[in-house]
Amino acid sequence: MTGGIRKIALIMVFSFVFLSLGLVYWQVVNADTMLENPANRRTILLEKRIIRGGIYDVNGVALAETRIDGTSKERVYPQGETFQPLLGYASLEYGSAGLEAALAENLLGLNDNSLVREVQDSFDLERRGNDVILTIDSRLQKTAYDGLKGKAGAVVAIDPRNGDVLALVSQPSFDANTLEKDWEAILNKAGSPLLNHAFSHFPPGSIMKVITSAALFRAGQDMTDIYNCEGSTIINGQIIQDGQAHGWVNYDLALAYSCNTYFAVHGIDAGQDIFLQAVSGFGFGREIPFELYVPPSSITKDESLPANLEINLFAESTFGQGQVMISPFHIALITAGIANKGEIMTPHLIDRVINTKQNIIYESQPELWLTALSTDEAEKIKSGMILAVNEGTASPGALPEIQVAAKTGSAEPGGNKTTHAWFIAFAPADDPQIAVAVLVEHGGSGGGAAAPIAKAVIEKALERKVGDS
Amino acid sequence: MLNSILLRILTLAILWIGLGVLTIDNMAGNQFIWQAAAFSLLVLIGVFIEFFLGYDGDTNLFPVVLTIIVIGLVFLIRINPAMAVDQFIWANIGLMAYYGVLFGLRDYKKLGQYQYLWGLAALLLLVLTLIFGVTIYGATNSIRVGSIGFQPEELVKIALLLFMASYLDINKELLRIGTVQVGRFSLPDKRTLGPYIIIGMFVLGILAAQKSLGTALVFFLLMVFIIYMVTERFIYLLMSLPVIVVSGTLGYFLFGHVRVRVAIWLDPWIDATGGGYQIAQSLFAISGGRILGTGLGNGIGAYQIPFPETDFIFAVIAEEIGFVGAMAVISLFIIVVMRAFAVSIKAVDRFGQILAAGIGILIGVEALIILAGVTKMLPLTGIPLPWMSYGGSSMLVHCILLGILANISHNSSFSISDIQVGKRVGVL
Repeated sequence: MTGGIRKIALIMVFSFVFLSLGLVYWQVVNADTMLENPANRRTILLEKRIIRGGIYDVNGVALAETRIDGTSKERVYPQGETFQPLLGYASLEYGSAGLEAALAENLLGLNDNSLVREVQDSFDLERRGNDVILTIDSRLQKTAYDGLKGKAGAVVAIDPRNGDVLALVSQPSFDANTLEKDWEAILNKAGSPLLNHAFSHFPPGSIMKVITSAALFRAGQDMTDIYNCEGSTIINGQIIQDGQAHGWVNYDLALAYSCNTYFAVHGIDAGQDIFLQAVSGFGFGREIPFELYVPPSSITKDESLPANLEINLFAESTFGQGQVMISPFHIALITAGIANKGEIMTPHLIDRVINTKQNIIYESQPELWLTALSTDEAEKIKSGMILAVNEGTASPGALPEIQVAAKTGSAEPGGNKTTHAWFIAFAPADDPQIAVAVLVEHGGSGGGAAAPIAKAVIEKALERKVGDS
Repeated sequence: MLNSILLRILTLAILWIGLGVLTIDNMAGNQFIWQAAAFSLLVLIGVFIEFFLGYDGDTNLFPVVLTIIVIGLVFLIRINPAMAVDQFIWANIGLMAYYGVLFGLRDYKKLGQYQYLWGLAALLLLVLTLIFGVTIYGATNSIRVGSIGFQPEELVKIALLLFMASYLDINKELLRIGTVQVGRFSLPDKRTLGPYIIIGMFVLGILAAQKSLGTALVFFLLMVFIIYMVTERFIYLLMSLPVIVVSGTLGYFLFGHVRVRVAIWLDPWIDATGGGYQIAQSLFAISGGRILGTGLGNGIGAYQIPFPETDFIFAVIAEEIGFVGAMAVISLFIIVVMRAFAVSIKAVDRFGQILAAGIGILIGVEALIILAGVTKMLPLTGIPLPWMSYGGSSMLVHCILLGILANISHNSSFSISDIQVGKRVGVL
């Protein structure tokens, strides 16, 4: 019988070993997959027991904090609507959105999987997530918010040298402090306050001309050649119109006066291959590496970066009509790229992440995303943008003591609606420290509706720089 | 003596550290300090009783089971303090039952004298349950006496084991050789195998009628493994296969909830918030534990899984002390089962051998079925994890079984030395 006992013992041991393999499968191999299962409420439940870390601006101003009163926790947003929908919300009832959702791993302290941390977790009973310090400067944010308040649109300010996002405003916004109470009202409010308009698609209008410029340069066209703008021209049977006849213009003047016919004619001359290549170099059709999702900008409805463009659509695309769609955020990045000698830095919102022991566990580093232009090309566009401020359509964006480089846009949204007002700018032109993109939806002309907001933000930013030194 | 005190203190340290963590975490009330103190005292008194009465059996078996009990108690405090209070009482009763059986039972061999009585007792207990039982969560397996519910099927485990051990002890040779020739195989005749099969069929039939399918599976595997072990004939394992297929198919088509269980087992994610909820939550908890666990008191399984204190206690453990802790628990069960086989091999008589190994098989099968269930390796059948799950009947019965095992171990080492000195002594 001893033999029988041994055999049974073997069967038992093998079964237990097999069982252990099951544990390996669930706890080691499949642990991440299981966490992503939508029915898994782990992250939401952890929320209840972890004190969510705070979100602060670059100077330490609290943007979102969890306040503890006895046993109850409350998430408060001291800046009210100013930072929404950028910050978003984290609600047990309605889920989470914005940075509260995108930064959840950091804020809940889930991304620190070091062995030390795991062992600490087993004994350390008070649990607090990490604090996140953003690159946003709340003073700029406030200025941009005040300028845009009451309208619909977006303001994005970026430090062109390192990709730090300094301000990111979207209007209309909401107050996350009363989200659960006002949920229905917020949902029904006009203009989609929960949606971040900085990441939504709009036609760029004349802003596109800075991008088309790159194609012109690369086609070997002489920028000093002059062209007679008669107010309209016909390309392949399609009438391209300008608001007025600009007369004889070279490239700088064409950009300064925002001459549609110049860019259509010269763009078509350069050819679609060079145009599409230039557009791709600026990041069309690519996902922007960023903490929040930004939909890739696109040239046509069907394809973000088509291989072939129908000639009439191509002509319209050169000055940002047709089917071109871009987000204010991407436009701000392109502006920053022109300011930074053609190099677009990877944008980021997180400056650093600090754990409960005040140690920095993550710090963002400047990183190149795309080289959209050569230094020479960037200089050429800049000189056109300077002329636009000094003598052209962008003059409402001029500052008394600082040279601003800017470009306006008034994009036709389709139908008979008022145009979207665009304004992009960077300053100081010889040593750019800030690049701004402003969109006022259905705001009319870029110079009229959008320029004052960009101007105020630049003024605020540079006043701060002076004060700092 | 020193060694066994040390082992017990180590084990009790788990209880006190766990209790300490939970108390700091405000998850355990102060009453548990007294509960744990009473339990610890009883354990330490046990050491002295063992010493003074000259316990001479396996010294590892009890400390290992004690560790399992203690881990179970800590997690019960964490999951449901009210139930943990009950469980402490049952654990204390279990300890006393263990020592009662170990030292009170003069000679386990006497248990072998009543073979058919045990068989009948097993049937009677089950029939009574079927008549007077209360249906809880679909299974009619408990009887209420006053405010205390009891699950007779746990007691049936003892009765059935005793029946099988004594029966096989007597009929071993006939079963082994066989008297009827069927083709290449020689099978035992009706009179030899009959009673074993008849009692087995009745037990399984009644359990199926009660819808205690998990317990039925445990008993079935127990009977098959024991007869295979005793006879060492592969044919008995082979013969069980068609039984599994037929009864499995029958069960599948007869019982709606069996079909549901199987469907859920095959794909719990289709309906993870409905029928698959239990197993999905169990797997979320287990996988959330990863290697080192979330830490005691930090898991979500204790709140999310239905029945975390009984069927799914292992999922909570695997979550909060991770793969490392879960493997430790599995290892403890492997040690208990292997020690039972070791006791069996050393036992001086065949009845003791079969009984000891039977206890090992029972515990192993129970642990495997429920652990494989919560890890989705088998369809889930709710049975308690021995010594860990909440439940007085299970705790008491498994402590009695452990007592029997220790008694066999004690008596065999004893007898070997007696044989050497050439004298025969009664007990102790």
